[in-house]
Amino acid sequence: MRRSRTLFGAALAVYAFLYVPLVLVAVGSFNAARLGSSWTGFTLDWYRRLFADERMLAAAGNSLVIALAATAISVVLGTLAGLGLARYRSRALGFLVLTPMAVPDILTGVSLLLFFVLIHLTLGMASVVLAHVSFCISFVALVVRATMANLDPHLVEAARDLGASPGAAYRRIVVPVIAPGIVAGGLLAFTLSIDDFVITFFTAGVGTTTLPLQIYSMIKVSITPEVNAVSTLLMLVTLSLVVLAARLAPSALRSGE
Amino acid sequence: MMRRYCVLAALLLASAPLAARDKLHVYNWSEYLPDAVIEAFEVRCGCDLVYDVYTSNEELLAKLAAGATGYDVLVPTDYAVTALIARGQLLELDHSLIPNLRNLKPAFRDPSFDPGNRYSVAYAFGPTVLGYNVAKLESLGVPADSWAAIFEPEHLRKLKGRVTVLDDQRELIGVALIYLGYSPNDRDRAHWDRARDLILRAKPYWAAFNASNYATLLASGNVWVSHGYSVDIFQAAEEAAQAQAGIEIGYAIPAEGAYMSTDNMVIHKDAPNPRLAHEFIDFILDGEQSAVLSNEIGIGNPNAAAEPYIDEQVLGDPVLSPDGDVLRRLHSISELDARDRRDMNRLWTEIKVR
Amino acid sequence: MPADSWHPDGWRLLLVGAPALALVALFVAPTLIMALATLQLPDDLGGLAPAVVRDEAGLHLALTLENYQRVLGDFVYLQVFLRSLGYALVVTGACALLAYPVALTIAAAPAKWRDLLLLLVVLPFWSNFLVRIYAWVLLLGPEGAVARLVNWTVAFTGAGPVVLMYTPAAVLLGLVYVHLPFMILPLYANLRRHDPAWLDAARDLGARPLTGFFNVTLPMSLPGLVAGAVLVFIPALGAFAVPDILGGAKGSMIGNLISDQFLAARDWPFGSTLALLLTLAVAGLAGLGAAAAARLPGNRHDA
Repeated sequence: MRRSRTLFGAALAVYAFLYVPLVLVAVGSFNAARLGSSWTGFTLDWYRRLFADERMLAAAGNSLVIALAATAISVVLGTLAGLGLARYRSRALGFLVLTPMAVPDILTGVSLLLFFVLIHLTLGMASVVLAHVSFCISFVALVVRATMANLDPHLVEAARDLGASPGAAYRRIVVPVIAPGIVAGGLLAFTLSIDDFVITFFTAGVGTTTLPLQIYSMIKVSITPEVNAVSTLLMLVTLSLVVLAARLAPSALRSGE
Repeated sequence: MMRRYCVLAALLLASAPLAARDKLHVYNWSEYLPDAVIEAFEVRCGCDLVYDVYTSNEELLAKLAAGATGYDVLVPTDYAVTALIARGQLLELDHSLIPNLRNLKPAFRDPSFDPGNRYSVAYAFGPTVLGYNVAKLESLGVPADSWAAIFEPEHLRKLKGRVTVLDDQRELIGVALIYLGYSPNDRDRAHWDRARDLILRAKPYWAAFNASNYATLLASGNVWVSHGYSVDIFQAAEEAAQAQAGIEIGYAIPAEGAYMSTDNMVIHKDAPNPRLAHEFIDFILDGEQSAVLSNEIGIGNPNAAAEPYIDEQVLGDPVLSPDGDVLRRLHSISELDARDRRDMNRLWTEIKVR
Repeated sequence: MPADSWHPDGWRLLLVGAPALALVALFVAPTLIMALATLQLPDDLGGLAPAVVRDEAGLHLALTLENYQRVLGDFVYLQVFLRSLGYALVVTGACALLAYPVALTIAAAPAKWRDLLLLLVVLPFWSNFLVRIYAWVLLLGPEGAVARLVNWTVAFTGAGPVVLMYTPAAVLLGLVYVHLPFMILPLYANLRRHDPAWLDAARDLGARPLTGFFNVTLPMSLPGLVAGAVLVFIPALGAFAVPDILGGAKGSMIGNLISDQFLAARDWPFGSTLALLLTLAVAGLAGLGAAAAARLPGNRHDA
């Protein structure tokens, strides 16, 4: 395809559109001024205040615990699903895995709220973890399935012909191939869980405020550069996790999503 | 594999509470309990006070309907107390654990929504007021003592994009009814339709329906008139005075009248720590502590013993501490039945959509 | 199912059954419960009145169709749906417009740059959703750079200052910003498979670059465009946080209306009804998108 100046310029403009707002948020976290976009001086004050803010720290702690638990569960189930999809091409499972990803968050949040109330599960850490698992399984499954494409099926057949048990065949041949996919999937699930807002909004209970929920209430009630600070830190965390995941399973991320 | 489990276990343990201090869970409006009071209570009881916030009674009720447990003390407004009592959600108070109950002013001692204070104790009261930027209204010639400032196009034309109203169906439809000369608790559907038309006529001039940060917008001069809670507007006035940017915020209870809400402390029936909850209620009813609420956030105080400790400025303010004449212009919100609620929901959707 | 050469019988149960069970419990069951809730009556505090009631007459069902009657009989709810559809359409269109330059540029770039450029598109998507909205809260708010820039230009025409926050325009802008990567990626995936020879042939036949784009690239990229459109349209239709934060009740969409029923109006059954209708709309659109994608000419070429 031919290159063109206007095209390149337009693309650059779109990239700028994507990044400039985020950069401004990061820059604003160091601005000594409380309101407004006039720069009055460099300061780390907002970060200091952030780490002294008990509610923020509690929210960060909750987010971390929930993300770890949700990731652990969805990695196990997601890997099984990924393997199941790759080997058995079950259409039912395919439907179950793909559809939650297509449904808008508000529907997932509301239906899970109704579900938890019906089964008398008190809204709390458990309900949020289960809610996060519901959407994380699909991502892990798809990533693992994608890495399975790198596996030469003949290898496993050969191993079985040579007398290896299914367990050994998996351990020696399949797992090393999908291991990067599992880790990448886990990292992505972790990121999704940390970042989730809408679904958590409807399924959180007493004392289970997560970081996004805390940020939301700060955006609505009182905006200070402390929000910029926590946003910047959050961006850095997810950035590193995603770059790491991209290194581990580039093929999985490239499959159009 | 094992290492991952160990790390997970370690992290989970690390986030578990370190000390075995008692915890009191208070679920209250945001910015409604000063840090000083929280700290004083924590010192006195040797416990931790965990503070969760909501921004509307409906949010509180929704969370409870979803089966949220773990809250000890809640602070619902009068009509929400009616709903909670009706659904058996509250623990009956043991008055022997609340000796300071005698401090309550007589007017608050036997409320219609809870005779005998069986379930609730008044925490604070305050009207919904008109908050405004003094200089702007004066220069534009807009009256500051009437709801016309937010409803009449002749004034709104000068205030376009600088007015906020509360994002609360009862408050907004109520004030429209008041302006039209009806009771805000009126259930006549013809009157509701008139209120709706009044609101829709004014809506294009309003900046936003805002129940969360209008006080900040007022204090920073971005908004010139706000329909808001006295507590928030009071804090906006303080903020503006401190910022010294030449912005003065005034507030008034318009001549046509306004809503007045009384927020009450109640104990949830499944409270994990009822003893501590009673202690907290008694603590808030202490004259000095109660006065801090008035001085810091500008609430109307139902506590007679607090008067000696309240700042002159707050005590003498007819808006923050309304009495006699002014009180007659104030109405409290009554709880609606299911059919009325449904029709009002529909009206509210129409207001938001058109 | 016969065991294959890989696994003995039990493994299929584990590999397919276990996750399927989890997904049925966490996805299918809640949806069915939501469908049932549409037939129930609201409880006074919010929540649902029990579906089965015991009284002197014994057990009976306390179900009703009034939620459906209300939704289908009252025009105001259709208005919200239509407005949300309209917004989603505008957002999808805007995303398509912005996505083409980027996708074309990445596809035309030398191989070693492509991964980096692609990563740069994906990264903002992976940053926290609220942070991305917050960025626009700052930019469009009265002190924000964009607001100040716009008002500075507007001042030349003598008109009064324009308020950008809490407007439908702010909501649309936020939605475009949040969903743009979803349009770029599928479009790129498709464009990458285009054969440069097609455009060369067009050029040889005398076509100018723009003609080449409209007659060759655009039609062949339709499957990617449709895929991207579905990935943007559906989440935009069900948007909740963006209109809530940037719209301030002026740009409220169906997602906000649903949320209001649960958190403000104490009418969970009605909220469930709205949610169910949205689910059906989403399912319909996804099906339409899939059918359209299958029929498109571009799909019959496998590059």
